[in-house]
Amino acid sequence: MKIPSSYCGPTMEDSSPSQNHNGQLGPSSGGNNIGNKQNEEGSQRTQYSIPGILHFIQHEWARFEMERSQWEVDRAELQARIAFLQGERKGQENLKNDLVRRIKMLEYALKQERAKYHKLKYGTELQQGDVKPPMFDEHSGPEAPVDGEATFTSVSNVSWRQGRQLLRQYLQEIGYTDTIIDVRSNRVRSLLGLNNNAEGEENLNNAPLQVNGNEPSNKRACESQGRRTPAKKTPPPASSLAEAMILDTQAAVMASFDFLAQSVADMDDDDDMSDDLDEAQDDEQDDVKTAKRKGKGLMLTEGMTTDDVDREAEEVLNELNLLSETEDSGADIHSQSDPSDWSGTGMGFQPGTGHRRQLGSALADEEVLDSTLGLGELAQLTVNNEAEAAYDITATKESYRKTWNAKYTLRSHFDGVRALAFHPQEPVLITASEDHTLKLWNLQKTVPAKKSTSLDVEPLYTFRRHTGPVLCLAMSATGEECYSGGVDGAIYCWKLPCANIDPYDSFDPGVVTGSLEGHTDAVWGLSIHSQRLQLLSCSSDGTVKLWSPSSKAPLVSSYSSEQDGAPTSVDFVRDENTRMVAAFSSAHCIVYDLETGKQVVRLETGQDVDNNIVGRQINRVVAHPTLPLTITAHEDRHIRFFDNTTGKLVHAMVAHLDSVTSLAVDPNGLYLLSGSHDCSIRVWNLDNKTCVQEITAHRKKFDESIFDVAFHASRPFIASAGADALAKVFV
Amino acid sequence: MKMADGSTILRRNRPGTKAKDFSRWPDEPFEEMDSTLAVQQYIQQQIRRDPANIDLILTPPDAQDEGVWKYEHLRQFCMELNGLAVRLQGECHPETCTQMTATEQWIFLCAAHKTPKECPAIDYTRHTLDGAACLLNSNKYFPSRVSIKESSVAKLGSVCRRVYRIFSHAYFHHRTIFDEFENETYLCRRFTAFVTKYNLMSKDNLIVPILEEEGSGETDA
Repeated sequence: MKIPSSYCGPTMEDSSPSQNHNGQLGPSSGGNNIGNKQNEEGSQRTQYSIPGILHFIQHEWARFEMERSQWEVDRAELQARIAFLQGERKGQENLKNDLVRRIKMLEYALKQERAKYHKLKYGTELQQGDVKPPMFDEHSGPEAPVDGEATFTSVSNVSWRQGRQLLRQYLQEIGYTDTIIDVRSNRVRSLLGLNNNAEGEENLNNAPLQVNGNEPSNKRACESQGRRTPAKKTPPPASSLAEAMILDTQAAVMASFDFLAQSVADMDDDDDMSDDLDEAQDDEQDDVKTAKRKGKGLMLTEGMTTDDVDREAEEVLNELNLLSETEDSGADIHSQSDPSDWSGTGMGFQPGTGHRRQLGSALADEEVLDSTLGLGELAQLTVNNEAEAAYDITATKESYRKTWNAKYTLRSHFDGVRALAFHPQEPVLITASEDHTLKLWNLQKTVPAKKSTSLDVEPLYTFRRHTGPVLCLAMSATGEECYSGGVDGAIYCWKLPCANIDPYDSFDPGVVTGSLEGHTDAVWGLSIHSQRLQLLSCSSDGTVKLWSPSSKAPLVSSYSSEQDGAPTSVDFVRDENTRMVAAFSSAHCIVYDLETGKQVVRLETGQDVDNNIVGRQINRVVAHPTLPLTITAHEDRHIRFFDNTTGKLVHAMVAHLDSVTSLAVDPNGLYLLSGSHDCSIRVWNLDNKTCVQEITAHRKKFDESIFDVAFHASRPFIASAGADALAKVFV
Repeated sequence: MKMADGSTILRRNRPGTKAKDFSRWPDEPFEEMDSTLAVQQYIQQQIRRDPANIDLILTPPDAQDEGVWKYEHLRQFCMELNGLAVRLQGECHPETCTQMTATEQWIFLCAAHKTPKECPAIDYTRHTLDGAACLLNSNKYFPSRVSIKESSVAKLGSVCRRVYRIFSHAYFHHRTIFDEFENETYLCRRFTAFVTKYNLMSKDNLIVPILEEEGSGETDA
């Protein structure tokens, strides 16, 4: 077959298409040979001539040469690809490290901010000394390898651009071209959900050409891989495309950094504190950024000098895959993992809770876990920033507990749930209902999958003793006892059964440990003091009573105010051990000294109160856990704030569309939760008195909807109790 | 609500309300109840007005879905039975009433357990009420309180049968408690009338001779 083609040797040298051409020429040239070679190889149909053979050999040699050069080209290309992939791998590793640093810096900044806030607001040092130094060391400890770092510490975007330029310069010096940055940026973009995969793929395919600076002549090599044909078109615009990509990604990255800066700036703006604080924050912010940049520079060099990249790179790739998966799996996971995680960091500051959440500690220890979990959060942060700017300000400011979502529905009561109380440590709560019972719930014991929604909880124990609706509830600080008051005028003391009790265990009469006798009418409010081990109750018989439940004669003293009518709600003043605040049906609030029984301060509601007493009645009064601040929930839709020392109204706001029935302050004193007969609960930022979130939680029965709300003392749970016989827990 | 002639009635038990005024507000016509809990509101309102007027209490409003009506009544019964359980807790001890019995004829096994077992009467009472509370609040069988599947309505009968045994145990073993409770609430009479009216239990099982006492003057069955 090939022999005839030897005559066409000169045409052969160029390209493979010409080979096909030769095949067609073959038969005509073969005709000449027949006459020449007859004598030598007569028996053969095809005669060979010496020139023909020589031609053939020459041609074959030329062909082999050509093929060899083609293979060479292929090899070069594959090598280029290997180099590229290695570069990509390193780029991804850098990216990973970068993001991890960013997360840590964010975390650190938030902690700093919280600490500072606390210190300035309450003048008390929090237990964070043990947390801070190691964190700080971790970030500033490694020496910055980059000179002139100081020039980049300004907050503006320009410096970021410069920083990027510098980094790119470094990369180029070490031998990586823009493509690596491109790859990195692409990854950032895809992580931030800004990039579509197709685009990224295309870019990856094109990239090798740029990396190795291959000439267009290599196109021949490309032809052997049919799928690559579109690549022909790209080389000319490739550089500009890359440039555009860089700009894009820069913009994207910048946006996310903008967001960071903005969030910090927002903190500044929102703060009513003195300039000192602002300055301090600015400094801190700069610190953060510097450290971040240092970290970046450091890990760039690290990434380049590491030898055993292979293993790590594999790891990184896996992680990134994992990341994109978690991203895809939707907001649910984020929202679930998020609050707990954030609160984990927040809880590190709580006095008395030495117990950090698992995620929090994992964050500190394990890099790998760190980046996967942390990045999920980061992604969400950015998404939120895009979605709702208004929310974001408060969301970032609160530094944890972004949005609450209903998770558990507690259905088992037959009538409205009047009160609920969380266990101080466990995910356990008790509800008190108008159906005369109290029920104990363990949120870890959800009903198995036989129900459609797996997050229904069934009660573990039903407390039966009251002979009328149960109206109020208080849990001791140890979580071992609780007290309930009802329309029957009784206050019962209960010993909490074990949280893992069999719901259908035999009846233990010892669960009721006693009753506090004294009130002659419905008991509407209870409040417990953790240190004093005392209980306050208020009743429509007109009295507020102080009890020491454990002593033989539990009633300590009784307080009343003839002119103000029946007390509606009562609470201990938390920052002043010997005082309590009681709200009366006259819409007045009075601070009493518990020892002397004297009225210390009357909280002034204003002149117009007397005009419409019923319309402004106080449904609930709570004392701030750390400040001399009393917060009242009114029938006239207002929440009012009073200064306990002066008795003056500090702030009043229309908080709901209908009467406000219940209040709860989170253990740190930063957030307020309110419930209303407008069917909704609202979360308020106590600092600037803005509503952070509103949740429609319950249905109406007659004109009542929500009776009580509560914060868990140590876990990220809030709960609401409704007239629709349900209680709901939000995470 | 609020637009009506200036003086609006808000039916609320505000903190500080005296026990005697609890839920003592003017009746609201059923047609004006726009809540999803209207049936419960209506039933409770009728009971509050006169617990002895069983016929009125058991008369549904026009065009009321019968499944929901029966369901809400049964919820109310179980809720009020708490009152009887509380009283029994003081007198019915596991040592004295080791089994759930009424007459000597039957020993009732407690269905709250994986394998039904002979719980003492007080445990049986509590477990039955707890189990009824879980079933009647079950998101699976009763996801809505405005419409109920036919298959779920069928479950009401067995709940009725079980909770009725609490009445019968109290009647035959704790007669004082039963009478006190009954005079206050008319609950057993209402329950008997209810299950008879809606045919939720067979007559043979209604062993507490309470309607006969009133109706025809007969004493025992």
